Amino acid sequence: MYIIVVGGGIVGYGLALELQQVADTEVAIVELSASRAAQLRDELGEMVVHGDGSEIAFLEGVGARRADMVIAVTADDGANLVACQVAKHWFGVQRTVARVNDPRNEALFLKLGITTTVSAAAAVMAQIETSLPQHTLVPLMALQSAGLKVVDMRVQSGAEVSGHALRDLKFPSGVLVAVVVGPQGARVPDGDTVLVPGDEIIAVIPHEAEQRVRAMVTVEDGM
Amino acid sequence: MRVVIMGCGRVGAGLAQQLVNEGHEVTILDTNAFAFQRLLPEFSGRRLVGSGTDDRTLIEAGIEQADCFIALASGDNRNILASEKAKEVYGVRNVVTRVRDPLRSELFARLGLKTFSPTKFGINLAHEALLDATGGQ
Repeated sequence: MYIIVVGGGIVGYGLALELQQVADTEVAIVELSASRAAQLRDELGEMVVHGDGSEIAFLEGVGARRADMVIAVTADDGANLVACQVAKHWFGVQRTVARVNDPRNEALFLKLGITTTVSAAAAVMAQIETSLPQHTLVPLMALQSAGLKVVDMRVQSGAEVSGHALRDLKFPSGVLVAVVVGPQGARVPDGDTVLVPGDEIIAVIPHEAEQRVRAMVTVEDGM
Repeated sequence: MRVVIMGCGRVGAGLAQQLVNEGHEVTILDTNAFAFQRLLPEFSGRRLVGSGTDDRTLIEAGIEQADCFIALASGDNRNILASEKAKEVYGVRNVVTRVRDPLRSELFARLGLKTFSPTKFGINLAHEALLDATGGQ
């Protein structure tokens, strides 16, 4: 199985690390920024290619024609849409997965027939789990190898984040709030989502940010 | 006709002015207000700062009532995303998309967008001029 991952950010990097462990799977990770690509290459080696994952001529060169799956996880929804459409309709790739950064784009992606759309790192992982042929479980906690972890916290009354919209919160860099579970059920948040006491949030965060994030979400009780 | 133009570069600004002269109702978008300096001071259309890929901006621009949408921003991918949105989500009947990359332009035309590639015109013109100059040798 040959998988092309477009985008070597925090999500693409995490994916590559996981996919590397899967037997009989060849992975290429495509990164647009030369400096980021060089940095990834130091760690991941040959699988990292510097290039534009929405450029047809370039994709031809990385063997898109024989790819079984293209996963576009850049921070740019336009690039993700185009990478998936090019993969599917130019190269005949069977499965395409796009990360959707702006949740309002999700319905459009579905309508355009992009096999699966996802809104957060956690969901990307879940999708891969079900897409890969055999068992190959990719546990969320394995994000740890990328220096990340998934945490589950409840917003406390009087906490720093309480009553504020996500866009106004100064979370440490690399923090991704993937899901907010409130009285109306679980939802994928956007910048306008206001956190209220009692909300449960599931976030992907860098290890070193955990203490700070917990301090923002909960009230110190002197313990 | 109610027209929304995404991107106030040379082409966007020129087209906006021409459409206004012809009596059309024009809203032109750009992410950078500085780009609007390309419009004549007497330009009577609406200028709106924002991205054509952003739903809030599109709605504010009147996309729901628009007859036409044309994407002329600098990035091909952004133009494609905005155009698909105008067409599929907001039901704009006449959507035109500039896609510089000739291959991408061809692909999205096949997928139902009305695309054009200025690069392709440029290649043809350059090729023609070159062969004229050398007498086809």
